Amino acid sequence: MEKFCLTKKKSIRINEDTWIIIFEEYLDFLPGQFVMLETPKLVRKPFVLGYWEDNLAISVQVKGKGTKWLVEETRKVKGHGPLGNGFKKDGKGILIVSPTCLTMVNAFRKKVNVDVLVGSKTPVLVPLEFDVVVGNEEFLNKISTLPEYDWYLVSGSKSMEKVCWNHLRGKNVYFSLEEYMGCGIGACKSCAVFTKNGVKHVCTDGPIFRGDELCWS
Amino acid sequence: MLELSPPLVLLSGPTGFGEYLKLVDPKYVGGVILKTVTLHPKKGNPTPRMADGDFYVINRIGLENPGIHAFIRQIPQLSIPTIASLGGDSFEEYLEVSRIFKEVSERFCGVEYNFSCPNVKEGGLSIVEDTNRWKNLLNEIRTILPNTFLIAKVGIEGVFVEKAAKIVVDSGWNGITLVNTVRGLHFERGHMILGGLSGPLLKPIALRAVYEVRKMYPDLFIIASGGVYSVKDAEEFLNVGANVVGVGSALFKNPEIVEEIGRYLLEVKG
Repeated sequence: MEKFCLTKKKSIRINEDTWIIIFEEYLDFLPGQFVMLETPKLVRKPFVLGYWEDNLAISVQVKGKGTKWLVEETRKVKGHGPLGNGFKKDGKGILIVSPTCLTMVNAFRKKVNVDVLVGSKTPVLVPLEFDVVVGNEEFLNKISTLPEYDWYLVSGSKSMEKVCWNHLRGKNVYFSLEEYMGCGIGACKSCAVFTKNGVKHVCTDGPIFRGDELCWS
Repeated sequence: MLELSPPLVLLSGPTGFGEYLKLVDPKYVGGVILKTVTLHPKKGNPTPRMADGDFYVINRIGLENPGIHAFIRQIPQLSIPTIASLGGDSFEEYLEVSRIFKEVSERFCGVEYNFSCPNVKEGGLSIVEDTNRWKNLLNEIRTILPNTFLIAKVGIEGVFVEKAAKIVVDSGWNGITLVNTVRGLHFERGHMILGGLSGPLLKPIALRAVYEVRKMYPDLFIIASGGVYSVKDAEEFLNVGANVVGVGSALFKNPEIVEEIGRYLLEVKG
């Protein structure tokens, strides 16, 4: 883990509310790891690391003034990371992701054998070289007709996670979780996950957890 | 008197068990107050446990901790003076956790008792409501730990800080931390979060508390806690009489702020 200051090279709009930010610098990280970035808000926010056009990049869903500032206003951004645990599995897997995880997808594709399915609520504005489905109905159809894979990794909204778990439970399914974080380093205990094996934390035990370890009720 | 150089501590809660010393250079910090430990392990509250508004952070962690026995088995080995933090769900639990802590008390430069956590149903904030009973508790803890540097962390609810300070002094305790978070309510995308407020919003409240208590007790050791996000904030707390300034939620904003404050305090205070 290190403290750093990244320089924004450019931002690319992916859909109605999601952008990819490309940086000039590089960081050494494993697929699945994330960074905490400073914004005008009081608490740094977590962003999963990845690549876009072979540059270090993150995906940002604009939700409020912090993420708007990241996308539209600043050129420099301070942060710390990489944080959390990397993810590596043998065999053929599939990443089922929302557009907020597109950069992460490219980090995985460099290291493991994966197919990719992107589920977006609104039309995707850039050409992508993998499956994209738009809207809930099309996503449901796609999930229920997926071929068999050795493992599945889901990274998206909580509703996307639930839909995927309902269709894929019993298989080798993993989820990259998102919870509000204060520190990203295991100090503040805000990103708790109540698992079948006790309280865990997204920042130090995750962010990727096995589906059958999680409490879905 | 406890001498910390610089007179800057990382506060209990945000600091965890010292994890932030990976991001803050220890030479700019005089000490660390560890996360509160209770008699039994606590799972903490369901999520969401934290949110940030424009001028505050709100949290409802619920004192998640491994319990005193697990804590003692794995005391963090930090390179700077360390203050433990103890809490309890009842009068008896505060005493029991103190008895167990006694065997390792010499490994710490002091212990802060959390009498003000707003995020637990029993103990915490409610323990100070009955001031006679609270005074008895402080006296009994002092008897269990006769030579330990004892600090009481109090909030602004349950009892006036001036009255709390009098009880702390009369019970033979060494210091007081002013102030813990204040109960607040925050809406996050329609979801209500009831928790403790910290951050810049708390600074004027904490400043006033330190000011009032210092007027009454010139020799009481005071750790200031509440909204320190800059050198100017730290200076103001020292000007109203704090011995030591604490940083908490500012760590979440930028650990470099803490280094900047520590560097300044080293220059002017040593």
